[in-house]
Amino acid sequence: MIIVNTVGFETLVKREMVRTFSIINQVIWPPVIQTLLYVFVFGLGLGSQIKNMPAGVSYAQFLIPGLIMLQVIDQTYSESSSSVFQGRFMNSIQELLIAPLSAIEMILGYVVAGAVRAIFIALLITALGLVFVHTVPTNWALYVVTIALVAVLFSSLGIIFGLLAEKFDHIAVLTTFFITPLVFVGGVFTSASQLPALVQKILLFNPMFYMIDSFRYSYTGVGDVPLALSLTVVTVLAVVSFAVALRMTATGFKLRM
Amino acid sequence: MNGAIPALRIDRLVKRYGDFTAVDGISFDVREGEFFGLLGPNGAGKTTTINAIVGLAHITDGSISLFGYDVVRDWRRARRQVGLAPQEYNFDRYLNIRDVLIFQAGYYGIRGKAVQQRADMLLERFDLASKAKQVYTKLSGGMKRRLSLARALIHEPRLVILDEPTAGVDVELRLELWSLLRELNTNGTTIILTTHYLEEAEELCDRIGIIQTGKLVALETTQKLIGDGSLQDVFLELTRR
Repeated sequence: MIIVNTVGFETLVKREMVRTFSIINQVIWPPVIQTLLYVFVFGLGLGSQIKNMPAGVSYAQFLIPGLIMLQVIDQTYSESSSSVFQGRFMNSIQELLIAPLSAIEMILGYVVAGAVRAIFIALLITALGLVFVHTVPTNWALYVVTIALVAVLFSSLGIIFGLLAEKFDHIAVLTTFFITPLVFVGGVFTSASQLPALVQKILLFNPMFYMIDSFRYSYTGVGDVPLALSLTVVTVLAVVSFAVALRMTATGFKLRM
Repeated sequence: MNGAIPALRIDRLVKRYGDFTAVDGISFDVREGEFFGLLGPNGAGKTTTINAIVGLAHITDGSISLFGYDVVRDWRRARRQVGLAPQEYNFDRYLNIRDVLIFQAGYYGIRGKAVQQRADMLLERFDLASKAKQVYTKLSGGMKRRLSLARALIHEPRLVILDEPTAGVDVELRLELWSLLRELNTNGTTIILTTHYLEEAEELCDRIGIIQTGKLVALETTQKLIGDGSLQDVFLELTRR
Protein backbone atom coordinates (compact mmCIF):
# COMPACT_ATOMS: atom_id res chain seq x y z
CA MET A 1 0.00 0.00 0.00
CA ILE A 2 1.35 3.43 -0.95
CA ILE A 3 -0.91 5.17 1.55
CA VAL A 4 -1.10 3.64 5.01
CA ASN A 5 -2.24 6.71 6.97
CA THR A 6 -5.28 7.41 4.80
CA VAL A 7 -6.83 9.84 7.27
CA GLY A 8 -3.55 11.75 7.54
CA PHE A 9 -3.29 12.01 3.76
CA GLU A 10 -6.92 13.15 3.42
CA THR A 11 -6.43 15.68 6.19
CA LEU A 12 -3.49 17.21 4.34
CA VAL A 13 -5.54 17.45 1.12
CA LYS A 14 -8.34 19.10 3.09
CA ARG A 15 -5.89 21.47 4.76
CA GLU A 16 -4.58 22.57 1.36
CA MET A 17 -8.15 23.15 0.20
CA VAL A 18 -8.87 25.24 3.30
CA ARG A 19 -5.76 27.25 2.51
CA THR A 20 -6.85 27.74 -1.11
CA PHE A 21 -10.30 29.00 -0.20
CA SER A 22 -9.01 31.23 2.57
CA ILE A 23 -6.94 33.08 -0.03
CA ILE A 24 -9.51 32.84 -2.81
CA ASN A 25 -8.74 36.35 -4.09
CA GLN A 26 -5.18 35.25 -4.68
CA VAL A 27 -5.76 31.75 -6.05
CA ILE A 28 -9.15 31.37 -7.69
CA TRP A 29 -10.37 34.74 -8.98
CA PRO A 30 -7.18 36.09 -10.62
CA PRO A 31 -6.97 33.27 -13.20
CA VAL A 32 -10.67 33.66 -13.97
CA ILE A 33 -10.46 37.43 -14.40
CA GLN A 34 -7.21 37.28 -16.37
CA THR A 35 -8.79 34.73 -18.70
CA LEU A 36 -11.82 36.93 -19.21
CA LEU A 37 -9.52 39.81 -20.15
CA TYR A 38 -7.53 37.64 -22.58
CA VAL A 39 -10.75 36.40 -24.17
CA PHE A 40 -12.20 39.88 -24.62
CA VAL A 41 -9.00 41.62 -25.75
CA PHE A 42 -7.31 38.92 -27.81
CA GLY A 43 -10.09 36.45 -28.53
CA LEU A 44 -13.12 38.57 -29.32
CA GLY A 45 -11.28 41.80 -30.13
CA LEU A 46 -8.07 41.31 -32.08
CA GLY A 47 -8.83 37.64 -32.69
CA SER A 48 -11.79 38.42 -34.93
CA GLN A 49 -9.23 39.47 -37.55
CA ILE A 50 -7.44 36.10 -37.44
CA LYS A 51 -8.79 33.49 -39.83
CA ASN A 52 -7.93 29.92 -40.84
CA MET A 53 -7.43 28.46 -37.39
CA PRO A 54 -6.93 24.65 -37.19
CA ALA A 55 -10.02 22.44 -36.99
CA GLY A 56 -12.14 25.30 -38.28
CA VAL A 57 -12.60 26.95 -34.88
CA SER A 58 -12.65 30.69 -34.23
CA TYR A 59 -9.56 32.29 -32.69
CA ALA A 60 -11.41 32.84 -29.40
CA GLN A 61 -12.37 29.15 -29.33
CA PHE A 62 -8.77 28.21 -30.15
CA LEU A 63 -7.58 30.42 -27.30
CA ILE A 64 -9.68 28.92 -24.47
CA PRO A 65 -7.82 25.60 -23.94
CA GLY A 66 -4.46 27.41 -24.10
CA LEU A 67 -5.61 29.91 -21.49
CA ILE A 68 -6.86 27.11 -19.24
CA MET A 69 -3.44 25.44 -19.43
CA LEU A 70 -1.71 28.77 -18.78
CA GLN A 71 -3.68 29.30 -15.56
CA VAL A 72 -3.51 25.67 -14.43
CA ILE A 73 0.28 25.64 -14.79
CA ASP A 74 0.75 28.99 -13.11
CA GLN A 75 -1.61 28.42 -10.17
CA THR A 76 -0.56 24.85 -9.51
CA TYR A 77 3.11 25.77 -9.26
CA SER A 78 2.53 28.95 -7.28
CA GLU A 79 0.28 27.33 -4.72
CA SER A 80 2.32 24.23 -3.94
CA SER A 81 5.62 26.15 -3.83
CA SER A 82 4.24 28.88 -1.56
CA SER A 83 2.48 26.37 0.71
CA VAL A 84 5.65 24.33 1.22
CA PHE A 85 7.90 27.36 1.56
CA GLN A 86 5.54 29.08 3.99
CA GLY A 87 5.29 25.86 6.01
CA ARG A 88 9.10 25.80 6.26
CA PHE A 89 9.37 29.50 6.97
CA MET A 90 6.69 29.45 9.71
CA ASN A 91 7.73 25.96 10.90
CA SER A 92 4.10 24.82 10.60
CA ILE A 93 5.28 21.99 8.34
CA GLN A 94 6.63 20.43 11.53
CA GLU A 95 3.03 19.43 12.32
CA LEU A 96 3.33 17.01 9.40
CA LEU A 97 6.92 15.99 10.05
CA ILE A 98 6.31 14.76 13.59
CA ALA A 99 3.10 12.94 12.63
CA PRO A 100 3.02 9.35 11.37
CA LEU A 101 2.91 10.49 7.75
CA SER A 102 5.32 9.04 5.20
CA ALA A 103 7.06 11.11 2.53
CA ILE A 104 4.82 9.71 -0.18
CA GLU A 105 1.68 10.46 1.86
CA MET A 106 2.87 14.04 2.25
CA ILE A 107 3.79 14.49 -1.40
CA LEU A 108 0.57 12.89 -2.60
CA GLY A 109 -1.35 15.18 -0.23
CA TYR A 110 0.13 18.26 -1.86
CA VAL A 111 -0.15 16.84 -5.38
CA VAL A 112 -3.74 15.63 -5.10
CA ALA A 113 -4.72 18.99 -3.61
CA GLY A 114 -2.93 20.64 -6.55
CA ALA A 115 -4.87 18.48 -9.01
CA VAL A 116 -8.23 19.24 -7.36
CA ARG A 117 -7.42 22.96 -7.36
CA ALA A 118 -6.33 22.78 -11.01
CA ILE A 119 -9.51 21.00 -12.11
CA PHE A 120 -11.63 23.51 -10.18
CA ILE A 121 -9.92 26.46 -11.87
CA ALA A 122 -10.10 24.74 -15.24
CA LEU A 123 -13.84 24.10 -14.86
CA LEU A 124 -14.48 27.74 -14.00
CA ILE A 125 -12.64 28.87 -17.13
CA THR A 126 -14.34 26.16 -19.16
CA ALA A 127 -17.67 27.62 -18.07
CA LEU A 128 -16.49 31.04 -19.26
CA GLY A 129 -15.56 29.47 -22.60
CA LEU A 130 -19.03 27.99 -22.88
CA VAL A 131 -20.78 31.25 -22.05
CA PHE A 132 -18.66 33.70 -24.03
CA VAL A 133 -17.24 31.79 -27.02
CA HIS A 134 -19.52 28.73 -27.11
CA THR A 135 -16.83 26.07 -26.86
CA VAL A 136 -16.66 22.97 -24.65
CA PRO A 137 -14.33 19.99 -24.54
CA THR A 138 -15.29 17.11 -26.79
CA ASN A 139 -13.09 14.61 -24.98
CA TRP A 140 -13.60 14.97 -21.21
CA ALA A 141 -11.37 12.02 -20.34
CA LEU A 142 -8.43 13.64 -22.12
CA TYR A 143 -9.35 16.98 -20.51
CA VAL A 144 -9.12 15.49 -17.01
CA VAL A 145 -6.07 13.31 -17.71
CA THR A 146 -4.05 16.21 -19.14
CA ILE A 147 -4.91 18.52 -16.25
CA ALA A 148 -4.08 15.78 -13.75
CA LEU A 149 -0.69 15.10 -15.36
CA VAL A 150 0.14 18.80 -15.57
CA ALA A 151 -0.95 19.26 -11.95
CA VAL A 152 1.31 16.41 -10.83
CA LEU A 153 4.21 17.95 -12.75
CA PHE A 154 3.80 21.50 -11.47
CA SER A 155 2.77 20.59 -7.92
CA SER A 156 5.93 18.49 -7.75
CA LEU A 157 8.03 21.32 -9.16
CA GLY A 158 6.38 23.61 -6.62
CA ILE A 159 7.38 21.27 -3.80
CA ILE A 160 10.95 21.05 -5.16
CA PHE A 161 11.33 24.82 -5.36
CA GLY A 162 9.47 25.31 -2.07
CA LEU A 163 12.17 23.15 -0.50
CA LEU A 164 15.09 24.72 -2.36
CA ALA A 165 14.07 28.35 -1.74
CA GLU A 166 15.72 30.37 0.99
CA LYS A 167 13.39 33.33 0.52
CA PHE A 168 10.07 33.95 -1.23
CA ASP A 169 11.86 35.61 -4.10
CA HIS A 170 13.52 32.30 -5.03
CA ILE A 171 10.28 30.53 -5.82
CA ALA A 172 9.49 33.21 -8.38
CA VAL A 173 12.63 32.36 -10.37
CA LEU A 174 11.06 29.38 -12.11
CA THR A 175 7.87 31.33 -12.91
CA THR A 176 9.59 34.45 -14.17
CA PHE A 177 12.40 32.95 -16.21
CA PHE A 178 10.99 29.60 -17.36
CA ILE A 179 7.30 28.89 -16.86
CA THR A 180 5.76 32.15 -18.10
CA PRO A 181 8.03 32.61 -21.15
CA LEU A 182 7.78 28.96 -22.18
CA VAL A 183 3.99 28.87 -21.79
CA PHE A 184 3.53 32.09 -23.78
CA VAL A 185 5.61 30.81 -26.68
CA GLY A 186 4.33 27.25 -26.25
CA GLY A 187 1.15 27.57 -28.26
CA VAL A 188 -1.33 29.40 -26.05
CA PHE A 189 -1.87 32.15 -28.62
CA THR A 190 -0.74 30.51 -31.86
CA SER A 191 -0.88 27.16 -33.54
CA ALA A 192 2.51 25.66 -34.47
CA SER A 193 1.19 25.19 -38.00
CA GLN A 194 1.00 29.00 -38.38
CA LEU A 195 4.66 29.51 -37.46
CA PRO A 196 7.75 29.42 -39.73
CA ALA A 197 9.30 25.96 -40.18
CA LEU A 198 12.38 26.76 -38.08
CA VAL A 199 10.29 28.03 -35.17
CA GLN A 200 8.15 24.89 -35.39
CA LYS A 201 11.31 22.79 -34.91
CA ILE A 202 12.44 24.90 -31.94
CA LEU A 203 8.96 24.57 -30.43
CA LEU A 204 9.45 20.82 -30.14
CA PHE A 205 12.03 21.48 -27.39
CA ASN A 206 9.51 23.43 -25.35
CA PRO A 207 7.79 21.08 -22.86
CA MET A 208 4.83 23.46 -22.44
CA PHE A 209 3.99 23.01 -26.10
CA TYR A 210 3.09 19.33 -25.50
CA MET A 211 0.88 20.16 -22.51
CA ILE A 212 -1.03 22.82 -24.40
CA ASP A 213 -1.28 20.73 -27.57
CA SER A 214 -2.57 17.70 -25.67
CA PHE A 215 -5.11 19.78 -23.80
CA ARG A 216 -6.29 21.59 -26.92
CA TYR A 217 -6.84 18.17 -28.48
CA SER A 218 -9.54 17.58 -25.82
CA TYR A 219 -11.41 20.57 -27.34
CA THR A 220 -10.67 20.44 -31.05
CA GLY A 221 -9.83 16.79 -31.62
CA VAL A 222 -6.67 17.76 -33.52
CA GLY A 223 -3.14 18.63 -32.49
CA ASP A 224 0.11 19.89 -33.99
CA VAL A 225 1.89 16.69 -32.95
CA PRO A 226 0.51 13.18 -32.32
CA LEU A 227 -1.46 12.97 -29.07
CA ALA A 228 0.54 9.94 -27.90
CA LEU A 229 3.76 11.93 -28.17
CA SER A 230 2.34 14.85 -26.15
CA LEU A 231 0.97 12.60 -23.44
CA THR A 232 4.23 10.66 -23.25
CA VAL A 233 6.30 13.83 -22.81
CA VAL A 234 3.97 15.18 -20.11
CA THR A 235 3.82 11.82 -18.32
CA VAL A 236 7.62 11.41 -18.28
CA LEU A 237 8.11 14.95 -16.95
CA ALA A 238 5.43 14.42 -14.29
CA VAL A 239 6.95 11.12 -13.15
CA VAL A 240 10.48 12.55 -13.00
CA SER A 241 9.49 15.67 -11.06
CA PHE A 242 7.29 13.64 -8.68
CA ALA A 243 10.21 11.27 -8.05
CA VAL A 244 12.58 14.16 -7.32
CA ALA A 245 10.08 15.81 -4.93
CA LEU A 246 9.53 12.48 -3.20
CA ARG A 247 13.25 11.82 -2.85
CA MET A 248 13.87 15.30 -1.40
CA THR A 249 11.07 14.86 1.12
CA ALA A 250 12.05 11.29 2.03
CA THR A 251 15.63 12.38 2.77
CA GLY A 252 14.32 15.34 4.77
CA PHE A 253 16.02 17.90 2.53
CA LYS A 254 15.78 21.23 4.40
CA LEU A 255 12.99 19.68 6.47
CA ARG A 256 14.71 17.51 9.02
CA MET A 257 18.02 18.57 10.54
CA MET B 1 3.62 -3.42 26.68
CA ASN B 2 4.62 -4.13 30.26
CA GLY B 3 5.94 -1.79 32.91
CA ALA B 4 9.55 -2.80 32.27
CA ILE B 5 9.66 -1.14 28.87
CA PRO B 6 10.67 2.49 29.32
CA ALA B 7 8.62 5.31 27.87
CA LEU B 8 11.83 6.60 26.28
CA ARG B 9 15.14 4.86 25.81
CA ILE B 10 18.06 6.79 24.36
CA ASP B 11 21.07 4.61 23.68
CA ARG B 12 24.43 6.20 22.80
CA LEU B 13 22.77 8.94 20.76
CA VAL B 14 25.11 10.93 18.54
CA LYS B 15 24.05 13.85 16.38
CA ARG B 16 26.58 15.64 14.22
CA TYR B 17 26.17 18.63 11.92
CA GLY B 18 29.22 18.39 9.69
CA ASP B 19 32.21 18.63 12.02
CA PHE B 20 30.13 19.86 14.95
CA THR B 21 28.90 17.27 17.44
CA ALA B 22 25.69 18.53 19.03
CA VAL B 23 24.90 15.36 20.96
CA ASP B 24 27.79 13.15 21.94
CA GLY B 25 26.79 9.63 22.91
CA ILE B 26 24.15 10.24 25.55
CA SER B 27 22.13 7.37 27.04
CA PHE B 28 19.22 7.43 29.46
CA ASP B 29 15.78 6.00 30.05
CA VAL B 30 12.59 7.73 31.10
CA ARG B 31 10.16 5.47 32.90
CA GLU B 32 6.46 5.37 32.09
CA GLY B 33 4.56 7.84 34.25
CA GLU B 34 7.68 9.80 35.15
CA PHE B 35 8.04 13.60 35.09
CA PHE B 36 11.54 14.03 33.70
CA GLY B 37 13.50 17.24 33.38
CA LEU B 38 16.12 17.69 30.69
CA LEU B 39 18.25 20.67 31.60
CA GLY B 40 21.30 22.34 30.19
CA PRO B 41 22.61 25.73 29.12
CA ASN B 42 21.82 27.17 25.69
CA GLY B 43 23.37 25.10 22.93
CA ALA B 44 23.92 22.09 25.20
CA GLY B 45 21.96 19.76 22.91
CA LYS B 46 18.53 19.61 24.59
CA THR B 47 16.47 20.69 21.59
CA THR B 48 18.57 18.55 19.24
CA THR B 49 17.85 15.55 21.47
CA ILE B 50 14.14 16.36 21.43
CA ASN B 51 14.19 16.80 17.67
CA ALA B 52 15.84 13.39 17.31
CA ILE B 53 13.14 11.83 19.52
CA VAL B 54 10.22 13.26 17.52
CA GLY B 55 11.75 12.80 14.06
CA LEU B 56 12.73 16.38 13.27
CA ALA B 57 16.44 15.48 13.25
CA HIS B 58 18.24 12.56 11.67
CA ILE B 59 20.18 10.38 14.09
CA THR B 60 23.89 10.14 13.27
CA ASP B 61 24.51 7.15 15.55
CA GLY B 62 22.86 5.30 18.41
CA SER B 63 19.17 4.64 18.81
CA ILE B 64 15.98 5.97 20.38
CA SER B 65 12.85 4.01 21.21
CA LEU B 66 9.48 5.14 22.52
CA PHE B 67 7.59 2.52 24.53
CA GLY B 68 9.71 -0.10 22.77
CA TYR B 69 9.21 1.24 19.24
CA ASP B 70 12.38 2.34 17.49
CA VAL B 71 11.92 5.87 16.12
CA VAL B 72 13.65 4.96 12.84
CA ARG B 73 12.64 1.36 12.13
CA ASP B 74 9.15 1.55 13.63
CA TRP B 75 8.61 5.27 13.18
CA ARG B 76 4.86 5.24 12.63
CA ARG B 77 4.07 3.51 15.90
CA ALA B 78 6.78 5.44 17.73
CA ARG B 79 5.39 8.81 16.61
CA ARG B 80 1.87 7.90 17.75
CA GLN B 81 3.19 7.61 21.31
CA VAL B 82 4.53 11.14 21.58
CA GLY B 83 3.20 14.68 21.51
CA LEU B 84 5.42 17.74 21.23
CA ALA B 85 4.83 21.27 22.46
CA PRO B 86 7.72 23.11 20.82
CA GLN B 87 9.37 26.22 22.13
CA GLU B 88 8.44 28.31 19.07
CA TYR B 89 4.80 28.68 17.99
CA ASN B 90 4.29 26.83 14.74
CA PHE B 91 0.53 26.71 14.34
CA ASP B 92 -1.18 26.63 10.97
CA ARG B 93 -2.15 30.22 10.27
CA TYR B 94 -5.00 29.24 7.93
CA LEU B 95 -6.95 27.28 10.55
CA ASN B 96 -8.96 28.45 13.53
CA ILE B 97 -7.68 27.05 16.80
CA ARG B 98 -10.35 24.33 17.04
CA ASP B 99 -9.33 23.15 13.58
CA VAL B 100 -5.66 23.34 14.57
CA LEU B 101 -6.46 20.56 17.03
CA ILE B 102 -8.77 18.59 14.73
CA PHE B 103 -6.37 18.71 11.77
CA GLN B 104 -3.44 17.71 13.98
CA ALA B 105 -5.44 14.66 15.10
CA GLY B 106 -6.11 13.96 11.42
CA TYR B 107 -2.39 13.88 10.62
CA TYR B 108 -2.15 11.19 13.32
CA GLY B 109 -4.84 9.20 11.51
CA ILE B 110 -7.67 10.04 13.90
CA ARG B 111 -10.95 11.72 12.98
CA GLY B 112 -14.64 11.69 13.71
CA LYS B 113 -16.95 12.82 16.45
CA ALA B 114 -14.64 11.57 19.19
CA VAL B 115 -11.84 13.90 17.98
CA GLN B 116 -14.21 16.86 17.82
CA GLN B 117 -15.37 16.13 21.35
CA ARG B 118 -11.78 15.81 22.54
CA ALA B 119 -10.84 19.09 20.84
CA ASP B 120 -13.78 20.80 22.57
CA MET B 121 -12.84 19.22 25.88
CA LEU B 122 -9.22 20.40 25.55
CA LEU B 123 -10.30 23.90 24.54
CA GLU B 124 -12.54 23.98 27.59
CA ARG B 125 -9.87 22.54 29.88
CA PHE B 126 -7.28 25.04 28.69
CA ASP B 127 -9.70 27.94 28.85
CA LEU B 128 -9.66 28.52 25.10
CA ALA B 129 -13.26 27.62 24.22
CA SER B 130 -14.30 31.23 23.70
CA LYS B 131 -11.53 31.61 21.10
CA ALA B 132 -12.31 28.37 19.22
CA LYS B 133 -13.14 30.11 15.93
CA GLN B 134 -10.20 32.51 15.97
CA VAL B 135 -6.82 32.03 14.33
CA TYR B 136 -3.85 31.70 16.65
CA THR B 137 -2.43 35.11 15.76
CA LYS B 138 -5.34 36.66 17.70
CA LEU B 139 -4.37 34.88 20.93
CA SER B 140 -2.29 36.25 23.78
CA GLY B 141 1.10 34.69 24.58
CA GLY B 142 -0.35 32.67 27.43
CA MET B 143 -3.19 31.37 25.25
CA LYS B 144 -0.70 30.30 22.58
CA ARG B 145 1.23 28.34 25.22
CA ARG B 146 -1.96 26.60 26.31
CA LEU B 147 -2.92 25.89 22.70
CA SER B 148 0.49 24.37 22.10
CA LEU B 149 -0.06 22.02 25.02
CA ALA B 150 -3.59 21.17 23.86
CA ARG B 151 -2.29 20.36 20.38
CA ALA B 152 0.37 18.08 21.82
CA LEU B 153 -2.36 16.18 23.66
CA ILE B 154 -5.01 15.90 20.94
CA HIS B 155 -3.98 12.41 19.79
CA GLU B 156 -3.76 11.14 23.39
CA PRO B 157 -0.02 10.47 23.45
CA ARG B 158 1.51 8.46 26.28
CA LEU B 159 4.52 10.76 26.38
CA VAL B 160 4.48 14.54 26.07
CA ILE B 161 7.60 16.58 25.44
CA LEU B 162 7.48 20.22 26.47
CA ASP B 163 10.27 22.40 25.21
CA GLU B 164 10.40 25.51 27.42
CA PRO B 165 6.62 25.54 28.00
CA THR B 166 6.67 28.55 30.31
CA ALA B 167 9.22 30.70 28.48
CA GLY B 168 8.08 34.30 28.44
CA VAL B 169 4.88 33.84 30.43
CA ASP B 170 3.96 35.68 33.61
CA VAL B 171 4.07 34.13 37.07
CA GLU B 172 0.33 33.59 37.30
CA LEU B 173 0.17 31.68 34.03
CA ARG B 174 3.30 29.72 34.93
CA LEU B 175 1.63 28.49 38.10
CA GLU B 176 -1.49 27.64 36.11
CA LEU B 177 0.57 25.66 33.59
CA TRP B 178 2.36 23.84 36.41
CA SER B 179 -1.01 22.80 37.77
CA LEU B 180 -2.10 21.53 34.34
CA LEU B 181 1.13 19.58 33.92
CA ARG B 182 0.88 18.00 37.35
CA GLU B 183 -2.69 16.94 36.63
CA LEU B 184 -1.62 15.47 33.28
CA ASN B 185 1.20 13.53 34.92
CA THR B 186 -1.03 12.33 37.74
CA ASN B 187 -3.40 10.95 35.12
CA GLY B 188 -0.60 8.75 33.76
CA THR B 189 1.04 10.77 30.99
CA THR B 190 4.81 10.64 30.97
CA ILE B 191 6.30 14.12 30.66
CA ILE B 192 9.69 15.32 29.53
CA LEU B 193 10.32 18.97 30.25
CA THR B 194 13.12 21.26 29.20
CA THR B 195 13.33 24.57 30.94
CA HIS B 196 15.73 27.31 31.93
CA TYR B 197 13.70 27.96 35.09
CA LEU B 198 15.46 25.71 37.56
CA GLU B 199 12.79 26.20 40.22
CA GLU B 200 10.30 24.83 37.69
CA ALA B 201 12.30 21.63 37.26
CA GLU B 202 12.79 21.42 41.02
CA GLU B 203 9.07 21.83 41.60
CA LEU B 204 7.78 19.45 38.93
CA CYS B 205 10.33 16.80 38.00
CA ASP B 206 10.84 13.38 39.60
CA ARG B 207 14.20 13.00 37.93
CA ILE B 208 16.55 15.32 36.10
CA GLY B 209 19.18 14.87 33.41
CA ILE B 210 21.66 17.66 32.76
CA ILE B 211 23.33 18.01 29.37
CA GLN B 212 26.48 20.02 28.81
CA THR B 213 28.14 20.31 25.36
CA GLY B 214 26.25 17.28 24.11
CA LYS B 215 27.16 15.01 27.02
CA LEU B 216 25.00 13.87 29.89
CA VAL B 217 26.75 15.15 33.02
CA ALA B 218 24.09 14.26 35.59
CA LEU B 219 21.15 11.88 35.82
CA GLU B 220 19.55 11.59 39.20
CA THR B 221 16.32 11.96 41.10
CA THR B 222 15.61 15.58 41.86
CA GLN B 223 15.99 15.04 45.60
CA LYS B 224 19.35 13.28 45.31
CA LEU B 225 20.65 15.79 42.82
CA ILE B 226 19.84 18.72 45.03
CA GLY B 227 20.86 17.10 48.32
CA ASP B 228 21.17 19.80 50.93
CA GLY B 229 21.87 22.56 48.41
CA SER B 230 19.84 23.99 45.56
CA LEU B 231 19.39 22.91 41.97
CA GLN B 232 20.92 26.18 40.87
CA ASP B 233 24.18 25.43 42.73
CA VAL B 234 24.35 21.91 41.29
CA PHE B 235 23.49 23.11 37.81
CA LEU B 236 26.12 25.86 37.83
CA GLU B 237 28.77 23.53 39.20
CA LEU B 238 28.11 20.88 36.55
CA THR B 239 27.77 23.21 33.59
CA ARG B 240 30.74 25.45 34.38
CA ARG B 241 33.25 22.60 34.14
